[in-house]
Amino acid sequence: MGSDGDSADGVAIQAAAVGKVYGSKKSQVEALRGVSIEVAEGERVALLGKSGSGKSTLLNLLGGLDRPSSGGLRVDGRDLGQLSGRELARFRSKSVGMIFQSFNLIASRSAVENVTLPMVFTGRPPRERRAAAQATLESVGLGSRLHHRPDQMSGGERQRVAVARALVNRPRIILADEPTGNLDSQTARQVMALILDHVRESGVTLVLVTHDEELAASCTDRVVRLVDGRIADESQRL
Amino acid sequence: MRWIDLLWLPLSSLGQRKMRTCLTTLGVMFGAFVLAASLSIDEGVQQTIERESSKGNISRKVTVMPGRRPVETAVADDVKVSGRMSSDRRARIRKVLVEQARARKSDQEQVNLTQPRLDSLARMPHINQMVPIVGGGVVATLGNRPEEASVSSGAGEDPEFPKRLIAGRAFKSEDERSVLLSEMFAHRIGLIDDSDLDQVLGKPLRIEIRGQEHGPRFNIVLADQARASGKRDEQAALRQLAWQLPGALERFSLTEEETATLKAALRGKSAKKAEPVAVVDDFQVVGIFRDFSDEERKTAWSQFPANTDLVLPRRSAVDLFFRDPAHREQGVNQAILFVDDIKNVKEVVEKVEALGMRSRSIVEFLERERLTYLLIFGGMTCVAGVALLVASLGIANTMLMSVLERRREIGIMKAVGASNWQLQTLFVIEGGLIGLIGGLLGLLLAWSISFPGDAWVRSMVQRDMQIELTGSIFAFPGWIAMTVLFFTVGVTVVAALYPSRLAARVDPVTALRHD
Repeated sequence: MGSDGDSADGVAIQAAAVGKVYGSKKSQVEALRGVSIEVAEGERVALLGKSGSGKSTLLNLLGGLDRPSSGGLRVDGRDLGQLSGRELARFRSKSVGMIFQSFNLIASRSAVENVTLPMVFTGRPPRERRAAAQATLESVGLGSRLHHRPDQMSGGERQRVAVARALVNRPRIILADEPTGNLDSQTARQVMALILDHVRESGVTLVLVTHDEELAASCTDRVVRLVDGRIADESQRL
Repeated sequence: MRWIDLLWLPLSSLGQRKMRTCLTTLGVMFGAFVLAASLSIDEGVQQTIERESSKGNISRKVTVMPGRRPVETAVADDVKVSGRMSSDRRARIRKVLVEQARARKSDQEQVNLTQPRLDSLARMPHINQMVPIVGGGVVATLGNRPEEASVSSGAGEDPEFPKRLIAGRAFKSEDERSVLLSEMFAHRIGLIDDSDLDQVLGKPLRIEIRGQEHGPRFNIVLADQARASGKRDEQAALRQLAWQLPGALERFSLTEEETATLKAALRGKSAKKAEPVAVVDDFQVVGIFRDFSDEERKTAWSQFPANTDLVLPRRSAVDLFFRDPAHREQGVNQAILFVDDIKNVKEVVEKVEALGMRSRSIVEFLERERLTYLLIFGGMTCVAGVALLVASLGIANTMLMSVLERRREIGIMKAVGASNWQLQTLFVIEGGLIGLIGGLLGLLLAWSISFPGDAWVRSMVQRDMQIELTGSIFAFPGWIAMTVLFFTVGVTVVAALYPSRLAARVDPVTALRHD
């Protein structure tokens, strides 16, 4: 696999026999076993499975938060196995946007400060990133909450801030790990609609981790089911 | 990542934990304060000493006094050990006898400041001027009133001395046959009114250097026992009467026999003839000088001594004293050497002491005191170092706790693109900022304390040593601030290194795990 960032073949994600093992020799856990998957550019894919099936582990590998123990991983035209620590950090900042179940906002910083954070590490000028953060927050309906801290917002608003943070650097791939897991059903629908609207408008690739079959079926083009670290089956949305 | 963000992110992190930041910074501030204060006092005291000692050329002045010099004694040949004994025993006994003989014989000779020695001092390299200081007791006679008096020379050389003249003029040359009277001496010999002072100017004063005893040989007391001691004026007048009486016996209505009897009695029981007057000379009174004022007394230590009854020009005083055989042999009490440059003072001192004379100079004093200061300020600097070390341990601990508390935040930053070196740099800068802020506050505190501290030391020096210091004993040149900040920032950066490496090694997956 090359590492030049070129996905001219239209494949956004390509995993080949990816495995991930945690723990020491005495207490090893094989979270992923030979997972191979391809996701086209602009495709919306759901990773479905019970807790412990390896779906979050796969998402973390796709997002560059962790490295596979075996196999190859190519995301956004880049071979993640060939990237140095610094290049991987840059990849996380520019190529992917991650949305987490527990929002993962910095509690001591305001909404706009949280959203500017990815741009700080890529060296964008302060004025530019402030403007971009403001625009993104307004696009998710939080124009009036720019200077509020997470503890001053509802769950839905916090997740919107997290969505804005994931989108602000205009990544080509959105990775969402149970984004509605901590929200009530109405808020969950609103947040999901927000994500899908953006995905539709910008044509980015979406990988959604969920245990909700209905959500997976309604919001994505393909559902990939994982069981015990392996792909059990895939079903295309008709 | 931009430089402004490398500063802003740590600053905002510190600002979010205000109490913890304050407490951590206080420790650094204390260490910085002690370090700044000790460096400042060290620099300030050195500058003060150099400034004060350069007044009146005192830094180039060497005071020379008579001394003693060891002489070679050849006693070994004189000691013989007789008797029948082994050669080893003879050698041992002879060695002890030689040492005893050497101890008995004088092995040191007095080195006086005689005229030839004064001349050799004046010819030494780097000597601009040699001023012999003559001092001693004489008999001064104005009109027909002899009076014991103390005399000195040298004050006439002092540029500050003319300010103390209350009548007449200062000396115009160093060998004129003039004399200045002190105000109190004038009062003692009966020059009470201001007009008396003006009238004495131009009058001749006879100065005699006599033998050991040059006072009257008897006392005159009043018959009334209750008033036997008398007032001060009465005592002075009675003493004058006793002084003049032996020379005025012929004027009384006494028989020849009575006159001879009294003369014999007044000569004393030993019937020893009075010592002949050794030296006598006449000088013209040209001026009257007062004592030091309170203000002048504060800097009196830097000037020539001038607290005698009479002051003579330098060369005239030396000529007078060296006409007396006893003084010719004894020499003068001291001589002042003015060296061309402060750098050469030490060399001159060594040469003077090699000749067997004693010396005193401000440079020697500075060298001696410098060691004391080095010890004191070295101690203070050690205290500062310990304080900073303790502060750094506190910082390391605080930052370790901070890394543990902020694991999730670190994980989030990694998830959105922070690299390991960026995180490490942020934490190191956070530590360095504590050092910078603490260092600045410590410098500010040291500078603030310097004002009351300086006032306190000045009042002590003025009270105990009667010296009015100019300038502050605290000095804050730029290098002190740079040194203090270098140490505080350096220490805190080192303290932050380990916590920052821990932060960089935080696993984002573990840190972000949803519980």
